[in-house]
Amino acid sequence: MNFNTAAELAIVCWAIGSLLSLLANRTPALKLPAFLLSIAGTLIMTGFIAFYWSALDRPPLRTLGETRLWYAALIPLVGFLVEYRWKIGWLKYYCMALATFFLSINMLHPEVFDKTLMPALQSPWFIPHVVVYLVGYVLLAASSVTALHNVYLQVRKKENSTGESVSHFLALLGFVFLSFGLIFGALWAKEAWGHYWTWDPKETWAFLSWLAYLGYLHAFRYKIDRSKLQWYLALAFVVLLVCWFGVNYLPSAQNSVHTYTQS
Amino acid sequence: MVVVRRRWFQAPWEFRESALFTAVSVIAGFVIQAAASGQGIAMPHLPYNAIALLFLAVLVISTGLAFRNTPAVKWFGGIPLGLCLILAIAVLSLIGGIIPQQSAAKESLPTLLGLNQIFSSWPFAVTVLLFLANLGISLSWKLIPFKLQNLQFILFHAGFWIALSCAIFGSSDLQRLVVPINVGKANNLGYTMESDTPQQLPLSIFLHDFSLEEYPPQLLLYDPHNDKLMMNKAQAILEVRKGTTASWQGIEVLVLDYLPYALPGKDGVPQSADRKTGIPFAKVRIITPSSQRDAWISTGSPMLKPDAAQLDGFYLIMMPGTPKSFRSAVTIQDEKGHEKVANLEVNHPVSFMGWKLYQMGYDEKAGRWSKLSLIEMIHDPWLPAVYLGFFMIMAGNILFFWNGIKRTEVVK
Ligand code: HEM
Repeated sequence: MNFNTAAELAIVCWAIGSLLSLLANRTPALKLPAFLLSIAGTLIMTGFIAFYWSALDRPPLRTLGETRLWYAALIPLVGFLVEYRWKIGWLKYYCMALATFFLSINMLHPEVFDKTLMPALQSPWFIPHVVVYLVGYVLLAASSVTALHNVYLQVRKKENSTGESVSHFLALLGFVFLSFGLIFGALWAKEAWGHYWTWDPKETWAFLSWLAYLGYLHAFRYKIDRSKLQWYLALAFVVLLVCWFGVNYLPSAQNSVHTYTQS
Repeated sequence: MVVVRRRWFQAPWEFRESALFTAVSVIAGFVIQAAASGQGIAMPHLPYNAIALLFLAVLVISTGLAFRNTPAVKWFGGIPLGLCLILAIAVLSLIGGIIPQQSAAKESLPTLLGLNQIFSSWPFAVTVLLFLANLGISLSWKLIPFKLQNLQFILFHAGFWIALSCAIFGSSDLQRLVVPINVGKANNLGYTMESDTPQQLPLSIFLHDFSLEEYPPQLLLYDPHNDKLMMNKAQAILEVRKGTTASWQGIEVLVLDYLPYALPGKDGVPQSADRKTGIPFAKVRIITPSSQRDAWISTGSPMLKPDAAQLDGFYLIMMPGTPKSFRSAVTIQDEKGHEKVANLEVNHPVSFMGWKLYQMGYDEKAGRWSKLSLIEMIHDPWLPAVYLGFFMIMAGNILFFWNGIKRTEVVK
């Protein structure tokens, strides 16, 4: 299977799925095909990841481009789950657009197909650590998008308390995954590098993003006006983005042991 | 609704006072740092650090319980101060996440303020200490009287308290020593990261063998005029195997034969050899629009120079694969005669008499032929306490995940 074909197919599925889903407001019969098509896009990406994994002989979690494949498969799922659970339909469009964006980056910057995995990455911790982080980032990305949407609704003075619970709940779940990711990372570092915490730039930034959401949860508990916290949630994701790939460009990263391979 | 604005320092204290207090504390930390002329803090060793930590824990918990209703203590254990301290730790970590953390030779304002070693600086220590006090007091209120519904809170906050405090107070007892050993030799001297004088180890390590396995070599086209490697059409890393094909604009290459371990024979044709001495050789067919020929290329080794194939001003070269795994076969022995035979490998440390031994590195210039192995020995008596904290946080996390789902059902 070829990446471009899989990606194009998935994007077409999402595009037609979204279109049918919009039309379904008038013609309810279109609901099911719309849903099936949207899900098919994600299934295609999942299938491609499975194929890629076996072709590489290692989990495709090593480079930034490879992690983008996972986001493209997982983010739409969050959108579908939110629609199923809270009957909020618009999030899935953002999610599919975001997934399309990630796939487009990969199509514009083809990866160099490299099978090697350095010894430190050959560990049973590799997959749980990275997958937990991926899921966390996906949830927090969705939380951020929802929060941004909530801010927009506030500006237009629309009542929207469900939206605010959704962004909160996604942030809460994301925080749970970030905490696991951080601790798994520490336990792994002990096995691979001898110490669980060394204030490596990547670790420092992972800690910072965790603190950002820790701060959010406590502010929320303290009954700080929820609508103001939507701004916070929308912006907190910026810290995550720095952690995810911005770290590579910071002066402190020259001696980092775990920046992603660039390509 | 009438909004009554609280004046500064009018009870109950909230964010303004917390922010002021935090800012003053951090600035005081920087002043101490500068007054100590850039020197960080030295934590005492066991048992004094354990006694100090116990003292802190008792002080914090008893203050929380004894002055439960005092406004000042209520503020001191409250979320507003907690949030400000989290922000302060975040800002200090942000400095550490941007400014490279390494000791600088010359005196300058950043080094005087400890900005290049922020995580062992006074401002960081002051903030963390206040954080532990704040967190501990809020914890004391939920610990006593104990209620099951507070379990999640207790697991998170006590877990974090234990992990953070033990990591910091125990940092002085962490020993990390690098032991260089040559094959066939034993060593009982280790080096710390900070100094060049070796330290006597409580054990000795004998290195029987060091072995390194590589990924298959890679086929590359080198452009000597621009000193760069050419990207092939498939944009893939080309692993050399029998049958591998590659193409660059106008140049086709086919690997006819591949010998992972070989040496040049008398007639110049490589012959298979044993793993210890042989190097990878490949017979390639090079097809350009005007010609076709076969050639042997090799990666070379510290003893043999590499063979490349020249074509139209380019070089077809074979690069040794990156290391896949490396391990040291060792016998470890302590002064009392305890002995252990083990294989040390990355991600597979070995425990021995309270120490953990790690395969750390080797002579990278010699690569597969390295006769030197670097082994790191680590002793961290506080590790179980830190891990206890980690597991409590993870248990709290599971509860949080579970309860979070239920709670939001109510919000709807
Ligand atoms: C700065 C010190 C801290 C203080 C003063 C503090 C205080 C509090 C308080 C008062 C609550 C509300 C509890 C309730 O209403 O039942 C809370 C909730 C919580 N805290 Fe902390 N905390 C601190 C640090 C931390 C840390 C370091 C962690 C993570 C390991 C943490 C994780 C949580 C979680 C997960 C919740 C639940 C939030 C929710 O229910 O939405 N806290 N904290």
